[in-house]
Amino acid sequence: MAGIETYQNKKVILSKERTVPFYLKLKTREAVAAYIFLAPFLIFFSVFFIRATITSIRLSFFDWRLLRPDITFIGFGNYIELLNDSIWWSAVQNTLFFAIMTVIGATIFGLAAALAVTRPIRGGEFFRVLFYVPQLMSVGAIGLIWNWLLNTQFGTINYFLSFFGIASVNWLGNPDIVMQSLSMVTIWWTFGFPMLIYIAGLQNIPEQLYEAARIDGANAWQTLVYITLPLLRPAILFVMVTGFIGHFQVFGQPQIITAGGGPGRASWTVIIYLFQNAWVAFRMGFGTAIAMAIAMIMAVVTLIQFKLINRNVEY
Amino acid sequence: MKNNVVKAIVGLVVVLAIVLGIWYAVGRPPAEEPVAGVPEEEVPVDEEVVPVGEEVVEEPVEEEPIITEIGTGDLHVSFWNGLTGSDGVTLNEMLAQFAQDNPDISITVEIIAWDTLYMKLQTAFVAGTQPDMFLAHASGVPMFAEFGVLRDLGDQFTSGGGWLADDDISETTMYGLIWDGVKYAIPLDNHGRGLWINTDMFEAAGISTDPATAPTTFEGWVELFQKLTIDVNGNNALSPDFDPANVAQWGFAVGEWPNVNFMAALAQHGGSFLSEDGTTVTINSEAGIKALQQVIDLVYEYNVSPPAAGFDSWASFGGGTLAVIPTGTWFRNWAALQEGINSMAWPNWQQGPAPSTWFGTHAFMIPAATEGEDLEAVTRVIQWVTENQAWWATSGQVPALMSVQETLSAEEFPSNILLGQTFTEYGVQDPRSPIVREMLTHLGVALSEALNDMKTAEQALNDAAVLMQQALDRQ
Repeated sequence: MAGIETYQNKKVILSKERTVPFYLKLKTREAVAAYIFLAPFLIFFSVFFIRATITSIRLSFFDWRLLRPDITFIGFGNYIELLNDSIWWSAVQNTLFFAIMTVIGATIFGLAAALAVTRPIRGGEFFRVLFYVPQLMSVGAIGLIWNWLLNTQFGTINYFLSFFGIASVNWLGNPDIVMQSLSMVTIWWTFGFPMLIYIAGLQNIPEQLYEAARIDGANAWQTLVYITLPLLRPAILFVMVTGFIGHFQVFGQPQIITAGGGPGRASWTVIIYLFQNAWVAFRMGFGTAIAMAIAMIMAVVTLIQFKLINRNVEY
Repeated sequence: MKNNVVKAIVGLVVVLAIVLGIWYAVGRPPAEEPVAGVPEEEVPVDEEVVPVGEEVVEEPVEEEPIITEIGTGDLHVSFWNGLTGSDGVTLNEMLAQFAQDNPDISITVEIIAWDTLYMKLQTAFVAGTQPDMFLAHASGVPMFAEFGVLRDLGDQFTSGGGWLADDDISETTMYGLIWDGVKYAIPLDNHGRGLWINTDMFEAAGISTDPATAPTTFEGWVELFQKLTIDVNGNNALSPDFDPANVAQWGFAVGEWPNVNFMAALAQHGGSFLSEDGTTVTINSEAGIKALQQVIDLVYEYNVSPPAAGFDSWASFGGGTLAVIPTGTWFRNWAALQEGINSMAWPNWQQGPAPSTWFGTHAFMIPAATEGEDLEAVTRVIQWVTENQAWWATSGQVPALMSVQETLSAEEFPSNILLGQTFTEYGVQDPRSPIVREMLTHLGVALSEALNDMKTAEQALNDAAVLMQQALDRQ
């Protein structure tokens, strides 16, 4: 139909409708352009993620040793073995403890650092850089450094503690505190990223809200609790979700700092457990079942976090 | 504007300083890297007499890169090994000489930490990107042989019409090269355990440093360790005033690679890792529990050793706070470099009725896929290195060929000779199983739990035995 309007009781033809092929329509052309730009990522994603995930899910139902020609279908055998393995549950416990402690610690320190460096003080930008620098280092470097800093006999930490009359702490050899030690290292290493996220979030909070709060007589704590934190909720959600996903997959720190999860299995994490089964015992089928279980745990915890933190999020 | 520029410069300087500081701290290892040796004939004659028991120190060399291209010949060989210490440096020097003598062959050497090497080899075999040859532990022969990826090397031995004399290799070493009646490897060395003692501490405690005077009972060793364990007030562990909470000098360290210590101790008490037929795990026998309990007692009853976790034995020995370190032939060059620390090798300590020590064999293996010209080149490399095993001795390891062992000078290679004899007389090796790595992981965890007072010896070994048996049954 042509575009027809009524003007002063006269019909006016505004435009003549043209029959345009669908592939020439602007909408189509824009969509095609978008897909062309997305294509490299989609190809990469399909090959290295979707295909790999489907293959892994399939492999988890088989008993397969690397380099062995026979691959035997065993149904849910791997999953049943996993559920009945006390070492797995111990690793899950260690990892949950580590992830929760590290996420909370990194959130608190990141937020504190963000609040500090966004104040109009001298050196704020310098400290932003300083706090972020550890994030740039590899886990190998972090592991080597902290292995020595936390060394019971020669470590710098114990050396400084001795000035206060505190006896040497066996940071990495005491099974009761080894996960806390690894968490402390990881918080130091990674709190720079949450800090950046919170800085961006803080800058999005309208200054008028703080002015209004000041006029109403709110103190710093009330401002933090009733204005800053609620409005930072999207950022907090993002930090906690991504943080949990990352920290639940911790491997480098126990592998390097506690030489593979020691003492005993006190710092075995789920990825160390997977590594031992897949790459020491070469049980690839069982390894993929472990990987699927880890993915499911992370998905469940992420959903819980969204439910708890995503309420009444203001954008 | 000017303020911003100044701020930017100051910030850059601070960041650079931090990065440089971290690079410096991380780039330097906590202990000096061991250094390579040089061939015996190239060592200049020293005017100064080398005291018996002291090792010859060579000049430090630069740390070896992970991948080294050696030679320029058209016939190219790829070679992987796990010799990340001074022995790797020595081997590369030998290969450089080989390339000079054989200009038609070039070699790419890739040095990968042992654990990673075994993983990388597996995936390389799957992908078909395996090296032309590799050096691994003889304990890996069953695993690789079961996978069907190794070439039968029987034709390299004189019994198969080859160049390597069977009777020049000890029975125990030869046993490690064979799986299912087939020879799959060519031995380079025997490396294994002994003790390194701080001779000054021994003399101060009034203990002879002559290895022949070493105790032959557990009680004798306990007494020796007690004399060498001294608190901050100067009291040794035999003294009623000894303060175990404030030890300045430890007599022993139980945490230094407990797996192999345990295997030797198990044999000393008449026990074994596996049953005769190799189907049952027997580490939790009475012999095993007793062997482990003795070591636990060194920590918690006699206070002559710190708990295993959190204690750096090498750094402590180098720092002069540890009198006796259970270590191996590979310790030779590192020990010699420690300033102010006079040390020497002793045989492994005897805690059971019979002496025993652990040893392993580094051996060359050739993938079954290596053929034709590549196989010929690889064979030439292996033969040349084998014929120059005397040079290899400068790395601290004991040459595998008995004829070469006999040529080593007692002045220059006291530790090689002393420890090499113990390997031949009463050495035990890793258990023979395709899943030995998995089993040793479970054992290592158990020993760590027991030595750190997380479980009793019996609990720890029983738990490990269950896991190891499950792994064995899955085979």
